[in-house]
Amino acid sequence: MKITLMGNEAIAYGLLHSNTKMVSGYPGTPSSEILTTVQKLKNNLPVYAQWATNEKVGFEVAYAGAIAGVNSAATMKQVGLNVASDALMSASFIGNKGAFVLIVADDPGFNSSQTEQDSREFARFARIPVVDPATPQEAYDFTKLASEISKNFEIPVMLRTVMRVSHSREIVEIEDNFEFQDKEGDFERNIPRWAAVPRAGRLKQAYAQFDRLDKIREYNYNELIKPKIDHLKDTENLIISSGTAHGYVKEVLEELNLDIDLLKIDMPYPLPVKELKDLIKRYKKVLIVEETYPVIEEEIRSENVYGRMSGHMHKIDEMNKERVLESLSKIGLYEGENIYKPVFIPENPKMRKPNLCPGCPHRDIYFAIKKVFRPKKSIYPSDIGCYTLGINLDAIDTVLCMGASVSMAHGFAVADKNKTVIATIGDSTFFHSGTAPLINAVYQKAKFILVVLDNSTTAMTGRQSTPERVAQGIVDIKKVAEGCGAEVMEYFYKSDINETVNFFKEVKKRFEDAQGPLVVVSRQYCVLDKERVNQFLPGVFATVDEEKCVACDVCTTQYVCPPMFYNERGKIEIDPLLCIGCGVCISGICPTDAFIPRKEEK
Amino acid sequence: MRYQIVVAGFGGQGVVFLVKVLSICAGKKGYKFLGTENHGMSQRGGSVSSHIKIGDFYNPLIDSAQADLLIGLDRDEAILNLPYLKRCGSVIVNADEFPDIEADVFAVDANKLAEDRVFDAKGLNVFMLGMTLARVKNFPFSIDEVKAAIKEINPKFAPQNFEILSKAFEYEKN
Repeated sequence: MKITLMGNEAIAYGLLHSNTKMVSGYPGTPSSEILTTVQKLKNNLPVYAQWATNEKVGFEVAYAGAIAGVNSAATMKQVGLNVASDALMSASFIGNKGAFVLIVADDPGFNSSQTEQDSREFARFARIPVVDPATPQEAYDFTKLASEISKNFEIPVMLRTVMRVSHSREIVEIEDNFEFQDKEGDFERNIPRWAAVPRAGRLKQAYAQFDRLDKIREYNYNELIKPKIDHLKDTENLIISSGTAHGYVKEVLEELNLDIDLLKIDMPYPLPVKELKDLIKRYKKVLIVEETYPVIEEEIRSENVYGRMSGHMHKIDEMNKERVLESLSKIGLYEGENIYKPVFIPENPKMRKPNLCPGCPHRDIYFAIKKVFRPKKSIYPSDIGCYTLGINLDAIDTVLCMGASVSMAHGFAVADKNKTVIATIGDSTFFHSGTAPLINAVYQKAKFILVVLDNSTTAMTGRQSTPERVAQGIVDIKKVAEGCGAEVMEYFYKSDINETVNFFKEVKKRFEDAQGPLVVVSRQYCVLDKERVNQFLPGVFATVDEEKCVACDVCTTQYVCPPMFYNERGKIEIDPLLCIGCGVCISGICPTDAFIPRKEEK
Repeated sequence: MRYQIVVAGFGGQGVVFLVKVLSICAGKKGYKFLGTENHGMSQRGGSVSSHIKIGDFYNPLIDSAQADLLIGLDRDEAILNLPYLKRCGSVIVNADEFPDIEADVFAVDANKLAEDRVFDAKGLNVFMLGMTLARVKNFPFSIDEVKAAIKEINPKFAPQNFEILSKAFEYEKN
């Protein structure tokens, strides 16, 4: 059956079509739609598909399933694997009975991520096999392949996808009339294996790991690589590629009319190094094209091998065809013109920055924080989520990684006692990794303010459910923070900036006498959250009294709401198509009260 | 058959919807299709462009000077994406004016039309697709093929979208 699928949807089909019974993970662009699609597709199938509080938790829940013999998978983005890596490094020694597919989505080009790390490198570090799909079709096929290899060799297998696979759409051929075969888990006690301890137990597993890798290397050669080598035409030169990079190379070779052999590697680790080095000897020059780290290149480096390490390929950022062409030119395999040079080059093009949505309560909180805790006397650590866009309001000083706002607030409070530290974190991030540093701060009596921006959803990645949304009243941020021993103040957000500012004045007063961290739980909503938003938005649309506007920039630099812009008369105007009617600007953002309610329909 | 389209806009304008519509059109005609989408950070009102490659392609990104067609849901975003356009390609853009370039440019002030309630502002993406169908001669799909795809995605809202498409055709005639 042929259907149009986004790469992440194709992976979800691949999971179900390999009888995967347990899927867990944590949302993160570009991986999020994998688990949500499994949730949509599973219908009445006995499949567990649930978001975990963080990637490590999700990995471990799913991995236990694989130990108990059911096919399982964990999904995350590349930086999520950093969080889950502790579990991975040991799971690689221990292995699994049911399949365990670790799905990691990389983000070459830093589109939505803090790093550009190549998870294939992580697979090599952990000594587990990794498959690297190039298209949504391969994402489907390789998910099934990964599941099969994992089950056969009893080892976790990584499916490494990238943004251009996960978020590409293609017509994909999937299995017709698939029938899910259910299998109950049956944990078999095997203490030396599942609970191997240092030194003897683990050493034994380490030797077994090498044997297993050798077998998979052989499999990689016989099943995946050799059939392709047999089809090579023995031209003078060779390109070896993997994943998305392959598509770029294939198009470049066609478009430049170059007669160069092209070998695609489906499983970049473990590689049959000896066989590949023999192959390399048959060619004059060999170029390695892969994204983003030189993983294959490091494994098979030889005198006639060119790529990143030899300085013939761009070092960082996403691949494109022009970069492949440039590499070919550098090593003398192409001498023609650059056909990928733009014809039209705009002068000073305006790039639109991402911004908090019109009507987003985060904006008000940041505005109020800056008003009450002046920038010169404050430090504003923040975290990972939509609210990171508070950077547009200059209301964020540091962004490191999930949960770091809390521990860094602690560190700043110790290091710089002359400033007030006021940190911001979202509800999902707080559950992900905010509690451990909060307990740390409470017991050490670190004095700072932590504002939990609770919009009851994981907004940035597409509004996945959070623990307190699903278990309303049972899992509650206020109770959790109190349970950690912190002092807590609660704010029920109102679409009136004076209310929000006055609340933070109260926070400031209370903080003067605080003995440790003061946690503020701000109960808000996400304007994209259709289930909840309408009960909160007042529907007061704004316009501008141009006679009152003195072009002072307060709204455009301190509040920064997308509908606001300067018109040709040098006055602020509100784009009526963007304004969603929160009415906050009318309530007191403008020093000269230029924002006024718009009259009903013209 | 090889046809490459860049759809330029910003988060929230419904770029992804157009990718879905065109992918279904391609599927029904038996063409290969690769399209990119933006999710996450870039969705929050930031610049968003989708690349759509119909025919024999192996990677979803369009390189500079390769696109046959640029659909700009916003003037600035269209200008930002001009490097992708090939010489003598087509541009369909939501703008009251557009730089004079060596390409087949058709500018329509769709924001103004939406403000005047000619069509609902949420249907800007569909309106611009309608302009494309009415205006671009070598566009690989017909209005009926596009309608069938729109209906497949959401039968409930299809009548409103068909109405917007016909508004675009009416506008192009006048």
